[in-house]
Amino acid sequence: MTTFIIRRLIQTVITIAMLSFVCFYILSLMPGDPVDILASSNPHITSEDVARLKALYGLDKPAYVRYMNWLKTVITGDLGYSRTYKIPVSELIGPRLANTFFLSLAALGLSILVAIPLGIIAALKQGTKFDYVINLGAFAGISVPSFWLGIVLILAFSVWLGMFPAGGTFTIGAGELSGWEFIKDRMKYMTLPVLSLTALQLGSFVRYARSSMIESMRADYIRTARAKGLSRLTVVLGHGFRNALIPLVTVIAISFSFIFSGAIITETVFAYQGVGKLVYDSVIANDFNVAMIAFMISVAMVLVMNLVADILYGYLDPRISYG
Amino acid sequence: MSFQDTEEKSKSMAQMVWEQFKEHRLALISLFIIGLFIIMALGAPFVTKWTGISPDDQNVFSRYLPLMSKSEVSADDTSNRLAASVNTRLHILGTDELGRDVLIRLVYGARISMGIGLVVALISALVGLLIGSLAGVYGGWIDTVLMRVTDSLLSLPLLPILIVFAAVDLNKLPFFASLVENQSQSIFKLVFILCLFSWMTVARLVRGSILSIKEREFILAARTMGASRAEIIITHMVPNILAPLLVAVTLNVGQSILSEAALSFLGLGIQPPIPSWGNMLFNAQEIITQAPLLAIFPGLLILIVVVCFNFVGDGLQNAVDPKALRR
Amino acid sequence: MLLAQSSWGAIQKPTNEVLRIGITQEFENLNPVLMQMMATTIIYKMVNRNLMTMDATPKWIPQLVKSIPSLANKGARIYTENGVKKISANWEILPNAVWGDGTPITGYDVKFAWTVARTPTVSVGEREQYDQIEDIKVDEKNPKKFTFIYKQAKWDFARLGTFYVLPKHLEEEIFNKYSKENEGYAKNSQYTRNPTNPGLYNGPYRVEEIKLGSHLSLIPNEKFYGKKPNIKKIILKLIPNTGTLEANMLSGTIDMVSELGFTFDQALAFDKKIKAEHLPFKINFKEGLTYEHIDLNQENPILKDVRVRKALVYAINRDNLVKALFEGKQKKALHMISPMDPWYTDDPKKITLYPTDKAKAGQLLDEAGWKMGPDGIRVKDGQKLSLPFMTTAGNKTRELVQVYLQKEWKSVGIDIQIKNEPARVFFNETTKKGKYGGMAMYAWISSPENTPRAQLHTANIPNAANGWSGQNYPRWTNPEVDKIIEEIDVTFDPKKRKNLVAKVLKAYTDEVPVIPLYYRAEVSATPVNQSGYQLTGHQFSSSNTIENWNLQ
Repeated sequence: MTTFIIRRLIQTVITIAMLSFVCFYILSLMPGDPVDILASSNPHITSEDVARLKALYGLDKPAYVRYMNWLKTVITGDLGYSRTYKIPVSELIGPRLANTFFLSLAALGLSILVAIPLGIIAALKQGTKFDYVINLGAFAGISVPSFWLGIVLILAFSVWLGMFPAGGTFTIGAGELSGWEFIKDRMKYMTLPVLSLTALQLGSFVRYARSSMIESMRADYIRTARAKGLSRLTVVLGHGFRNALIPLVTVIAISFSFIFSGAIITETVFAYQGVGKLVYDSVIANDFNVAMIAFMISVAMVLVMNLVADILYGYLDPRISYG
Repeated sequence: MSFQDTEEKSKSMAQMVWEQFKEHRLALISLFIIGLFIIMALGAPFVTKWTGISPDDQNVFSRYLPLMSKSEVSADDTSNRLAASVNTRLHILGTDELGRDVLIRLVYGARISMGIGLVVALISALVGLLIGSLAGVYGGWIDTVLMRVTDSLLSLPLLPILIVFAAVDLNKLPFFASLVENQSQSIFKLVFILCLFSWMTVARLVRGSILSIKEREFILAARTMGASRAEIIITHMVPNILAPLLVAVTLNVGQSILSEAALSFLGLGIQPPIPSWGNMLFNAQEIITQAPLLAIFPGLLILIVVVCFNFVGDGLQNAVDPKALRR
Repeated sequence: MLLAQSSWGAIQKPTNEVLRIGITQEFENLNPVLMQMMATTIIYKMVNRNLMTMDATPKWIPQLVKSIPSLANKGARIYTENGVKKISANWEILPNAVWGDGTPITGYDVKFAWTVARTPTVSVGEREQYDQIEDIKVDEKNPKKFTFIYKQAKWDFARLGTFYVLPKHLEEEIFNKYSKENEGYAKNSQYTRNPTNPGLYNGPYRVEEIKLGSHLSLIPNEKFYGKKPNIKKIILKLIPNTGTLEANMLSGTIDMVSELGFTFDQALAFDKKIKAEHLPFKINFKEGLTYEHIDLNQENPILKDVRVRKALVYAINRDNLVKALFEGKQKKALHMISPMDPWYTDDPKKITLYPTDKAKAGQLLDEAGWKMGPDGIRVKDGQKLSLPFMTTAGNKTRELVQVYLQKEWKSVGIDIQIKNEPARVFFNETTKKGKYGGMAMYAWISSPENTPRAQLHTANIPNAANGWSGQNYPRWTNPEVDKIIEEIDVTFDPKKRKNLVAKVLKAYTDEVPVIPLYYRAEVSATPVNQSGYQLTGHQFSSSNTIENWNLQ
């Protein structure tokens, strides 16, 4: 088990390193760099201006040279400098990461808390009205276009009911809020984005929880356990649920990639200051340093979560051997 | 176990699947609705023929008409030969920002949106099945390499990557440029990009279930009984993998329709004037408080169709599950 | 909907306590020499003054200086040095003009900004305004006075719209310390490190808080030398999604939407709604200088024929287009110069006009050998008359216009293939490198009396040799026009200049390298009780007169 983890850990680090080059290369494939973008929007930029700025930003060098330069500075702990905002990436990305983390974790936690019990109950009451209703709701959640849902939520809760602000991260100009007031203020702005993200994730979690629960409840050993006269609750939680967890863990681990990229549209619609929006903006503006760091954090997150999922597999299903 | 046996068994299996499937009422209804939508999508040109309304007919002087309203067709409008004699035209669901009939655009949008959803889901399911089963069945270094590639692709943040790819000029690829040279290029491009990034979940799920079945009693038993690898795969693994695969495919159909809408939201989806539910929704969102119905209709259709696909998948899952058959 | 009505009725009208403005585009730090984004230049004008500015007429007026030097007012003179004609111009900063910390603004600040902007390690976008000046001499006895020596004698020497001033007393030390490092100054400037320092600003407001990518709050600059502003606090909030702008207004999250906000179609629809439901907002429209047009690629064999190009213009009904899609609030364009510009002309003796005439379009196409085919598309030598038509994907107004025009051209037998691309591909690959095959629709942003050198001069056809710079995307060459453009620069008589421009316009409308469509209008939404607000339609935005805004 330990050698397995160490081997996978090394694989993961190598994958991250390789992906960093892949990301860099893909980004460099996009036409236009920040100077081109500037030049195309300002008729007064001359060819001398373009050449001067490209040399200044180091954009006149080939991609692999730029990648090596980037790698060198990143390894020393300097994340570089945002071309768009003209501030260090670390200053820019820190608070954004925190914001997205709160948002996504809240949504993920809420979805899991709601989805697993709902999925289990639906599985156990398969074919009943309750099951139909849960299924309908789950499918509706999966099927809603995210920006549409966001706009509808804004219309309903901000415009018509006036319960929550239409967008933003916190009240601007409220000054330094202390403890409870601060949390309350942030909650007010987070409610709609969290609701919207939860609705989007909930459906697939319920579905996976339900279908894997049904699956595992049909397994032979469940029947054996029942035949042995174990109580229904023990069978459901001790045997059925434990086996149902295996595919669920995969799905939840995979959904961790949502933490950065899944919130892009939600963050944009609600003008929420998260890293998802930053990723989108930096890609559009070709803000290389920001895009690379954001990509790498997100890539590393997901790979590590996959590793965790695989280890959990082993822990939950002893039949899987790590040869 | 002879070949004849297997054949007979698979025949009866298809029947039993259908029997089982029919028991899932919602799935049956959903299948019916999808059927209706497909007929509607395929029959779109006939609708144009009968009503004389095409999805590109504009009338910029009657924009944003409400439900059941009539527009005047100007006499000098030579391109509307069929309607020229009528003079007025009924718009059951009103008109959009160019005075085009919303209903007919929804009908034509069904072709694009459902087409993209189905094609992407099928291609990615095939790719995912292939890669997932190679990894799961053979294990070893094949598994390691394939799964690291899968993990790598899965770990890339999807939307930004799609944005980057949408920005990269695919026409630089020689086969792509020769493939299509007209308006539908944006459709092919979208399908291509979506396929590139939607097979991984399937691959992982397939591999996961193969791994967990591989060690199960009945496979072990078959192995000890001397069954060949191919036999084991066909008789035992395929039905076992089908269930998660079908769930994943149905989810993928919806996911692809939604991805199309998301990319449209960022201005990277299907290009006008081709209507898709995604770009109709996008076009409507800016004026959602004034003409909410323009956004509600395509949104609702997306919802209905995706929900139906999911129910069908659910029904199929119940039906093909070999343990369900043994009940 | 009843619910909606009741709560909309309760929208609070803002007071002079605070005004919250929504903006849809990103902004940067407010260092004027470094700023490159449109949103930043709008915000910048709330906290800083320029040497000179343009009013809504539009006319150049002095802002930070007493008067604008000219040959006529003897503020400037032409002289010859080593055989080169040069200009020397005298400027004087207003005596009471100070930075937010009370330090007087002097010619030294001007000279410092000029030094910074010309330093190779500083990433200034557009440097021409600084580069044209050879030397700045500050009067030691009265540092408010200074003299510019211009390298060349050009008529527009005193149009310093993007020449900014920096506070030398705060920035010089940093600049000297970090100017050797690439972008060292940008990283360490007080505008980046300590943006709330009042001494960095000299406008009616100063920055209280700035959060990049989110918001900015401004409070009155106590030391401002001009009229005191009425509103006690301005908050600018970034709302990246235009679809939710209106919801933000209706829910009271913001009070106003700046000119970087609503799309035109949205503004029209919202205007109707405001009127129908008596909402406490007002939509402002103002015709602008931005010129929407379609470039016709001269390298396309079909479009090489001037008859085809003319037919394309005759075939479309642009009057209907602006009437139906814009309700007449954006005006049809005749050429690249807007009616707001003193250089504008619509005299049929001076330029060629193209009224809608489908018969004539058909006749021209027939003459060019394009005969009507059985399927309604014209054919010549077995080839269909089909043209690709591109624009920026996701821009709704453009896409609307695009499908409208597609149908118009179809009615004369021209098949149009729409192929749109994201803005970055469209501008950085497609238009620049001439890959758009047929037609490309986009806008030129211009200022009044701006020589169209970048767009029309042969030297500005982007190619590998000039580093793909220049904006002559139609790849149009006309030696006569090139010569006139050179001549305009050194013509000091306004009348003569206008005649030269008319000659350019004649060639432009005769040869049709570009199909003029319309001039874009600026739109914004303000609270109904806001007075003193005026959209300008040009680069010196409404925020330039923010001290007049009043909420009663």
